[in-house]
Amino acid sequence: MDKNAIKERSLERYKAERDWFAFLLEASDLMVGPEMQLQSKLLKILVESKQKVVDCVENDDPFIAAYFCNAPELFNAMDLPWFMLMETPFLGASAPYLIDDIQGAEEIGIGTDLCTAIRLPIYYIESGLMPVPTAVIGLLSPCDGAPMLHQVLRHNKAWRNIPIYAADPPYSSDDRAIKYYARELRSMVDFLEEHTERKLDMDRLKSVCEESNRTYSLWQEYNELRRAKPSPHGWEIGGPQAFAISQCFIAGSPKCTQWFEQLLECGEIRVREGRGANDNHEEKIRLLWFDIMPYGWIFEFMPWLEEEWGAVIVMDMFANFPYTLVDTSTEESMFYSLAKRNLIDSPMIRQARGTAENFSADISRMVKDYHIDCVIWPGHMGHKDGAATAGIMRDTCRDLGVPFLHIGLDLFDKRYTTVDEVKSKVSQFFTAMDLG
Amino acid sequence: MSGLGEGSTSVFDDSLEKIAGYIAGLCERGRPYREYRLPPGREDALHEIVAKVGPGANPGIILRSDTFVELGNPSAGSCACLLWTNDCSRVDDGRIRVIGSDVPESAGKSLAFGQVVMVAGSSLGPEQHPSLEQAQYVADQVEGYMVKTASRNMWGRVSKEAGAKGFDFKTLGGALRVLVKDAAAEVEAVEVLFVTSSKEDVAALASIAGKVRQAAETVVKEHWKARGYDLDCDLSCASCDDKGVCDDIRDVVATIKKNLRRRESGERAGNGERSDDKSVA
Repeated sequence: MDKNAIKERSLERYKAERDWFAFLLEASDLMVGPEMQLQSKLLKILVESKQKVVDCVENDDPFIAAYFCNAPELFNAMDLPWFMLMETPFLGASAPYLIDDIQGAEEIGIGTDLCTAIRLPIYYIESGLMPVPTAVIGLLSPCDGAPMLHQVLRHNKAWRNIPIYAADPPYSSDDRAIKYYARELRSMVDFLEEHTERKLDMDRLKSVCEESNRTYSLWQEYNELRRAKPSPHGWEIGGPQAFAISQCFIAGSPKCTQWFEQLLECGEIRVREGRGANDNHEEKIRLLWFDIMPYGWIFEFMPWLEEEWGAVIVMDMFANFPYTLVDTSTEESMFYSLAKRNLIDSPMIRQARGTAENFSADISRMVKDYHIDCVIWPGHMGHKDGAATAGIMRDTCRDLGVPFLHIGLDLFDKRYTTVDEVKSKVSQFFTAMDLG
Repeated sequence: MSGLGEGSTSVFDDSLEKIAGYIAGLCERGRPYREYRLPPGREDALHEIVAKVGPGANPGIILRSDTFVELGNPSAGSCACLLWTNDCSRVDDGRIRVIGSDVPESAGKSLAFGQVVMVAGSSLGPEQHPSLEQAQYVADQVEGYMVKTASRNMWGRVSKEAGAKGFDFKTLGGALRVLVKDAAAEVEAVEVLFVTSSKEDVAALASIAGKVRQAAETVVKEHWKARGYDLDCDLSCASCDDKGVCDDIRDVVATIKKNLRRRESGERAGNGERSDDKSVA
């Protein structure tokens, strides 16, 4: 294949994803109501971000592949377009080709015991279906699966000469660890400057971090609204989008802040009017879903929870708000705060990188603050780190007097545990615990 | 069983001393200081404060527009910690100390906020620690007061209605004392410190709170260990099956560094520079 053909193939799936979201954007534009406009704004940010990457590939401009917990404010401050290596499972899992792609991954021999969120990008890389960036920022935590992906990059013909850097995450979470990780982030900037020819301007970083702080402050304010009974929003609006907007596209952009302003406004209106997440179904069970949403089958499961049981996801792992605002007073304080946010606050990294106390302490706090009636640990097949702490979570819930359910499923592949099986387990649980 | 709190000491005793020194230092520097005292009995103490305390006491949420005073916005300065000791003489039960402005005189303001809850009980141990630590986050249990769900900060909000009733730190401290005592029967004394004097004063307190957090991690690990769970990788290199792999990695890193030094030294020699690196063979 010549260079242009390789380029075109690498954009095939990426463009399909962009077009899928552009289609959803068109559809949501036709809907009325502030909440639907919220979806439109999110999709617009997503489509623009994807288009930027497409433009970079087509024009040979620098762009990078990275992760949400790589301090994306730095990429924005360097004016460096980026995409998340695990973007499809996180953001495009509603896409109609997802199961075909998972099947494709199996057919090229990738072990089915490996997290599907990692299998998919491996499949895209090995099949030449992922845009080849100027540089890669890798991830050495929270699980062993993530570095597996980097090993694939080092062996793939199209990717093996792409420079890669991964900040080394320390095991502990004390001041020394944060300072160490801040130095790692500085090295990441040096690496990016060397390989992308984009420079980090500290004034620009300050302004991006200040905007990021505005975004996070609004998120915090919004989250307090979810304490209300009934909760103003459930699975459909709130946490996962807030996570995506703040960390996955253009962190620290006024567009993100505007989205959060509208989210807060929508939430406040509902709280004042005493309206719950679902206008047609009363809130009966306040649920903590302690993981990523089941993106691969979300539309088959989450509406059912509300309609059948009045069970509303009041909080989830990605919607929880443990974030520290960035102290923009000095260069050192900015890197320190970014290090803390990305080493200790980011979802999954927070729980699975170091010691396991956050599994217990976060559940305790969320149950108390959000008036949670029961906790579901989905037990995603890729979250083996979390599987080791299921006992701690169960004991914590016992201490709190809150029912706990551990299912065992694949959040992206509904063939692992079928949606009907999940529904059956959840129904038995609710019935046995006299909920709903 | 006092666990880490052997005899009359606990892992937090050093921090208790540091806090005493911190308070004395601020007083010497002329910071506004006031002290409230609550009666020993639970009901008597509740009678002296202007808010209901207990689950559901603050049923709604306090919106931005309903806020009388904001406490501990991170941009203003914020920190909190809870420490306990087995030495009951170290904690003056019912004493609430405030350094800086109190709530009633701060309408419409966003104050820096530090909160320290000091607890004593001769039989307190790691098993009570998680409940005590959670008790400092009041959730819906104090009428007219809300703490946001933020980690490592204590970011609170007093409602206008509560402000009008005279909500002050005596009330908040008294409420915390009740909640902490309710969290564990072993608690004998609770004392609370609030600092609102400045961002810098709260930052100084935050560094002590950081040490408290580190000490608390040890206590939490012990608590879970006693229940059969290891929070930490409790490995020793001597008994680890992967020791060989780690040793190999160290050798590889050492070789890479050695080669790099050799190359750099060769480049310097090529540029006519004298190599002073004696370590390169």
